[in-house]
Amino acid sequence: MQPTRALLGMRYRKLRLTTKDVNKGFYKGTGSGSMGRHTPRGGYIIEWNKVRTFVCPDLTGFRLTPFVTNTVKRTYGQYETKLGPKDPQEYLARWKAENGLD
Amino acid sequence: MASSAASFRPSMGAAFTRLTSNPSSRRIRPSLTQIASLSTTAPLLKRHTYPGARSNKDMSKSRGQSALRRTGLRWRLSVSDEPLPKPKSRDELPPVEVDPDHGLWDFFPNRETVAAAPEDDMKHGRAWMVEELRSKSWEDLHKLWWVCVKERNRIATGAWERERGKMGFGKSEAQGRDREVRVTMRGIKHVLTERFYAWEDAVKMAENDPEIDLSGKGRPFTPKEYLEEEGVEDVKAEEEKEVVDVRGPIEGEGAAIPSEGKAQGEAARL
Repeated sequence: MQPTRALLGMRYRKLRLTTKDVNKGFYKGTGSGSMGRHTPRGGYIIEWNKVRTFVCPDLTGFRLTPFVTNTVKRTYGQYETKLGPKDPQEYLARWKAENGLD
Repeated sequence: MASSAASFRPSMGAAFTRLTSNPSSRRIRPSLTQIASLSTTAPLLKRHTYPGARSNKDMSKSRGQSALRRTGLRWRLSVSDEPLPKPKSRDELPPVEVDPDHGLWDFFPNRETVAAAPEDDMKHGRAWMVEELRSKSWEDLHKLWWVCVKERNRIATGAWERERGKMGFGKSEAQGRDREVRVTMRGIKHVLTERFYAWEDAVKMAENDPEIDLSGKGRPFTPKEYLEEEGVEDVKAEEEKEVVDVRGPIEGEGAAIPSEGKAQGEAARL
């Protein structure tokens, strides 16, 4: 593709590259993500395992809102180890206590 | 009577030939005395001109025609006599039927307005703390995420309509509300990631744990006391027993470690 006359000379080179610039081999995505693959003949095959789906659960009877009342002060948790909530030891101990034995 | 063909007049002869030759093109004539063989006469051949008609050609075929001024067409059409419907004003139209349970209603704060007023947008609490979210189960977090998504959609719809309809102020309050929702969503993502990483590390640790059997056969967890004493059965039943799936992380349903005051954090209101 060629630019218009107003951009002739070196003016076009100062602009950012778009998907329509450069001859071959230059790829610039648009942020929508890869949903499949190209065929040698210029087609496109959608790979459904790459296509994202959004699962919204049933919200009837759900009472939580995105906000917490301001009367409740912020309190941080107390953890024994330095890793705290990320500690795998704690996780395992908790699993054993709550879920280990059926 | 004893009339021969010579007594026929020429016009009479024409009538006879027409009668015998082409019976389908009969024409009703008032009398048989003077029948014209042409459909018109010389005076009628000259085209009828309307009074005030111009004698020369009008080169402009659409002269006088204007859609803006609704002049109508210049020449008559075959459908010119068809009655056309007249447009009605909006007040005369019947009211639009709306489904009261339509899902799109959730894009608006109420049924009356498209954007919330700034004083109503300001009435919100603070965002969820990560500590408060840690005690929530997957189902709760999943549902809370989508509640946040719907709230953000509502705020964005209001912002769009406010801009489009030039309704005035309210952008700042909407942005403040949106910020709190986004912080909550960030916290949800953080908690789930943290939980997953902890589970991954725990699985790695469990491979070296003598109490835990990850092969899939037999019990996954045998406490130390049981390893020492064989034959002991039946542990005291726990409150909630869920099927252990070593591939999935455990759910945080109880407030194990953090402070108890956090339990009120669940009372989330505006």
